[in-house]
Amino acid sequence: MADENGNGALQQFKDGVLSDNPVLVQLLGMCPTLAITNSVENALVMGAAASFVVICSNMITSLLRPLIHPHVRILIFTLTIATFVTLADRFLAANMYKVSKQLGAFIPLIIVNCMIICRAEVCAIKSGPLKSFCDACGIGIGFTMALVILGVVREILGNGTLLNYRIMPEAFYGTHEWVIMVLPPGAFLVLGIVIGVSNFIRQDKAGGAA
Amino acid sequence: MKKFIDESWLVLVMGVVFAGLLAGAENTFGPKIAQNKRAELEEAVLAVVPNVARSESKPVGLTEVFKCFDEDDKLVGWALPASGFGFQDKIHLVVGLSPDALKITGLKVVDNKETPGLGNKIDDDEWSGQYAGLDAAKEVKVVKTQREIEQNEIQAITGATISSEAVTKIANQIIAEMRPKLDELR
Repeated sequence: MADENGNGALQQFKDGVLSDNPVLVQLLGMCPTLAITNSVENALVMGAAASFVVICSNMITSLLRPLIHPHVRILIFTLTIATFVTLADRFLAANMYKVSKQLGAFIPLIIVNCMIICRAEVCAIKSGPLKSFCDACGIGIGFTMALVILGVVREILGNGTLLNYRIMPEAFYGTHEWVIMVLPPGAFLVLGIVIGVSNFIRQDKAGGAA
Repeated sequence: MKKFIDESWLVLVMGVVFAGLLAGAENTFGPKIAQNKRAELEEAVLAVVPNVARSESKPVGLTEVFKCFDEDDKLVGWALPASGFGFQDKIHLVVGLSPDALKITGLKVVDNKETPGLGNKIDDDEWSGQYAGLDAAKEVKVVKTQREIEQNEIQAITGATISSEAVTKIANQIIAEMRPKLDELR
């Protein structure tokens, strides 16, 4: 899997999405996962912003890796990540003001999302640009996918809408919507169930081999 | 010395390059962001004063008030931006007053981080519509229980008394502070 050819890169991409999914398997980046998945729109924008940052950070780390001294590497990772997070934050505030306001501090907080520094440390610092790029794309898509799954469940149950279109009849909820699903407890409940289901599926696939 | 430079030059160079990149980004996006914030405030001004066609910003101390005119350039009211602490974080809102500053014409919450589903209902037009028509010379009071509301009272949001009271307090304060000053701006 660690070989430096096209196959390795493709495998790295697939692993990022499925078997090494940052949220569902590695349990990294829990803070945005729990905090902003109360609507699909927020989940998509957060996923896109984090993907942008992880791709840029992986590319820069991978390209500069012959120049990076091991003991200053964390400093360089942080510097790179912080720069691209700030770029993403400013871009969103200028072009998607409403969503940027809803996400509030969680866009700047991508800086401390350990999923991103983990990819620099585990993959980009020792792999070529192609593999690092595929790895970042896989992780980015895997992260976005997990956020969107949570967002769909929480928005439908908590608000009766999907991407702000009402899809559930009011009668389904009785007197009012399940506000708890939009609040923090809903995040924990849904995340627990989704991780449980994903573990069950993976175990099932592994079958007797495990 | 050579050892230090050898090990740190990359960090220094990256710092300079990234700083340049960020300065460029701020130049590109900064004006647009300021414009977005301004547009949001001006939209709220249009919502709190009836028949307003254009508004003029007038500085008052460190803040500003908006003088609102209709299509025939007749004064139709005032819009006062204000902010204060809610349940979680600052609430920003705009209060509308009639031209003689005797009546509240409306109230709109521009920005809040209150509890979703409970406190954030303060930005529901249905709830904030309660302020329209109240007497600006007296304090507005919040009613918690489900009883008939009397003069200059508004009904609190169920389960969000603190947010309801915070909005009312911010509105009362800014009205009391600005009413005497509006005469000079006429």
